[in-house]
Amino acid sequence: MAISRRTVLLSAGAGLALASGAARAQGTDESGSKKQLYAAAKKEGQVTWYSGILDQPLCEKIAHAFTAMYPGISVSVTKTTSDVAFQRVLQDMRGGAPEADVFTTTDASQMTYLIGKKLLVKYTAENAQGLVKSLQAFNGGGYYQVSWVGQVVLLYNHRRVHAADAPKDWPDLTDAKWKNQITFGSPNYSGLVGVWTVGMTQKYGWSYFDKLAKLNPLIGRSIDDAVTVLNSGERSVAAGNPSSALRSAAKGNPLSVNYPTSSTLIDPSPSAILKGSHSPNAAKLFMEFLAGPEYSQILADGFEQPLRPEVKPPAGAKSLAEIKTFAPSLADIEKLLPGDKQKWRSTFG
Amino acid sequence: MSVTHEQASPAVLPRPRGGLSARVRRLEATTLVWVAAALVLLFLVGSPVVSLIASSFRSTDTGAFTFDNYAIAYGHLSDLRALGNTLLYALATTALSGVLAVPMAWGISRTDMPGKRFIQVFVLGAFITPPYLGAIAWILLAGPNAGWLNRAWMALTGATNGLFDIYSFGGLVVVTALYAFPYIFVFTADALDRVSSEMEEAANILGAGNLRTIFRITLPLVMPAIIGGAIVVFLDTVALFGTPAIIALPARIHIMTLVLWQFFEFPVRAEAAAAYAIPLVLVTVALFMVQRRVLGRRGYVALTGKGGVRRPTLLGGWRWAMFGYALSVITLAVFLPFAALAQAAFARAWGLGFQWSNLTLNNFTALLSDADSRATIIHSFTYSAASACLAVALALITAYVVTRRLSRFGGALTGLSMLPLVVPGIVLAIGFYSAWSGPPVSLYGTATILVLGFSTRFLPIAYVNCTAGLRSLNPEMEDAVRILGGSRLRAVAQVVVPLLKKSLVGSWLLVFIPATRELSTAIFLVAAHTRVISMMMLDLSENGSFETLAALGFFLLSATILIVALGYRLVGRDFMLRRS
Repeated sequence: MAISRRTVLLSAGAGLALASGAARAQGTDESGSKKQLYAAAKKEGQVTWYSGILDQPLCEKIAHAFTAMYPGISVSVTKTTSDVAFQRVLQDMRGGAPEADVFTTTDASQMTYLIGKKLLVKYTAENAQGLVKSLQAFNGGGYYQVSWVGQVVLLYNHRRVHAADAPKDWPDLTDAKWKNQITFGSPNYSGLVGVWTVGMTQKYGWSYFDKLAKLNPLIGRSIDDAVTVLNSGERSVAAGNPSSALRSAAKGNPLSVNYPTSSTLIDPSPSAILKGSHSPNAAKLFMEFLAGPEYSQILADGFEQPLRPEVKPPAGAKSLAEIKTFAPSLADIEKLLPGDKQKWRSTFG
Repeated sequence: MSVTHEQASPAVLPRPRGGLSARVRRLEATTLVWVAAALVLLFLVGSPVVSLIASSFRSTDTGAFTFDNYAIAYGHLSDLRALGNTLLYALATTALSGVLAVPMAWGISRTDMPGKRFIQVFVLGAFITPPYLGAIAWILLAGPNAGWLNRAWMALTGATNGLFDIYSFGGLVVVTALYAFPYIFVFTADALDRVSSEMEEAANILGAGNLRTIFRITLPLVMPAIIGGAIVVFLDTVALFGTPAIIALPARIHIMTLVLWQFFEFPVRAEAAAAYAIPLVLVTVALFMVQRRVLGRRGYVALTGKGGVRRPTLLGGWRWAMFGYALSVITLAVFLPFAALAQAAFARAWGLGFQWSNLTLNNFTALLSDADSRATIIHSFTYSAASACLAVALALITAYVVTRRLSRFGGALTGLSMLPLVVPGIVLAIGFYSAWSGPPVSLYGTATILVLGFSTRFLPIAYVNCTAGLRSLNPEMEDAVRILGGSRLRAVAQVVVPLLKKSLVGSWLLVFIPATRELSTAIFLVAAHTRVISMMMLDLSENGSFETLAALGFFLLSATILIVALGYRLVGRDFMLRRS
């Protein structure tokens, strides 16, 4: 990769000024190689992104911000679930060429599979150097980079539970006072809950779930079901995703977040370039954008965890630098999750 | 009871004998139309299903022939239990749907019950309610800890426990049936509309009472429609994911679609999922054999060339009881759940419950002022409308060919037309994606691919309804056209279509409505600029925006009421209901 050369944003004209002021001030470096990339990408004119993360409106916002920063290149984004996006990629590959240039998934083991089949392009974004340090190592040997961080924390309905009584750390959930009051998702239906299951087993052993099972938890499907169940008043405490909880709390819903004192469980979601796609250069430029500050600012505005240290987390959230985090390794997840899913079936029925 | 056999006279059967020239001479436009329809069916259904069956015998990694997928799919005893649970769940749902739907259909079609139009509109309102929203609303109503009904019960009686637990097998069946019964309702009401009163009157004259007449004359005459509706409910329930995900999962009841979902978690085993789906195909085939046996060779012709008159049965005081029954069904399906959803749709923050300061219309304005949401809603409605037209046209042609025995391949055509409903949506969707998105048809990213997907997925509903309609028409009316020199196409266009007008509109709605909420095929076929409502709902449910989701539910309900009202106006007056 060429040496980064700090330059003034050459065309700091109308289009660019629109993008996002604050983040840019903190310094996007437009290197020579990036300019070349832009020129090549502009000839392609379009980049297609299969996203398994965020939601369609947020993905559209990202697409527009990219086009504002790099006029002449449009982004066509389709947000589905990670499993569906992966299925579509596989079907495309079987038929010859992928429809998508960039693929983002919540399930990193899909990337391992694609690397094994030699279906990804190796690319390290220059901007990746500016990501939170702990996330930089998550790169699949140069094949991918982080684009979203799933977190699992403790949530509670503060109309039903006083802050003082709320669970502060993972073991607090096993207290008998939470009988019929807990809710969480299932590793058999949600990737993030799967990683949480592996993480909790590594920290506390399977007995953690045996104890939870005695308290008759309400088991939903996805990590985000917790927000619905807590708001409905059917249950009061949960293991859940802080982003959806804070988004709902910002409207005035009675939800509070406790980052567990011992550690928050995190699960990074990778993005990668698919081999043989229509716009390989625009794909690289888009990967740069996904690692840049403008993207992280859009995440923060949408109540998601930003990936760069200079971007402030959303109201009520803590930045990754402030909290203790715990991320089971991909190898561990791949090795342990299938067995844990089986155990889950026998523990929770 | 009519003893007319459902068959036309041999004279109208173009059964070519002799040489090629004779065949060519007998070849007429109709034949071309149905051959074309059969080819379209093969393209729409045949190609994805063949790829499904083939892939169930293919190894995920190497593509070599194997039985492993079946071992993976059925290797666990718990999966077999899921199969049993699913059949029980679908049977119970079908039975309950029948109990909810048939009396209402009879009341509306054949009695002087009050408030008919009102009930009819809200039955379709129940149908448009996305099962996901209906299920959440029922958790708000009958959740064991915080459900409204339970809290009211505890407050009234001082009991420490609620009355209902939605997280149970019973809860699952009730909530599913409340949103599935409209299938049977529409099928049955439509068939009852075509039965003239002559036979009922004859039974009355011979001394049969009203009840006896209903059970011995009226209901047997519309049995094909009731069974058709029941089959659709059964298959729809087997393939349902939304309601089980919300209710069966917490209740820890294993259901096939939930197991199926797990095959798509990494490591993805789409091939095992295909293998898992094959028994469902066999169940469908078995259902049709049962149907054939039950219906046997009895005749169901209700509409003959003589023209009938239908006089409503006068219920006297019982008409209010009838109305009460219908009202309680739609209260359970629509009014109560939407009252619960209103708490979210009109709230800033639904977790706060009812407070004056919490009331807002922002969820609606946000939904309708956003250009992307508007485009999404418009996509759903136009794609679904186009799909409904295509499905009904195809179903009518195929059903006509089969019921009038114009082809030796009737059984195969029926099979092709019915398969899409039973193959789980997600498996079918993969078939569509791989068959249509790439060359040679290259439909990737187009609206056409979604329209084809939806039409195929819901073709069975239209097909069943058209078949029931055609069985009740005496072919002698078409024969009359032919004897007078008209072509078969003309007979269909000017006799069959006008007579079945209401039935066709019913079929259209029964395709249109589920198409607006279809997720499993949509998610595979959408691209950036063809997003549909179901995808928006998935996003909203995952990012915790339940307020907007509930508002969308209200919007769908009111839009449907408008469309249905318009539909009835288009269909016009009920031609058999003359009051003297």
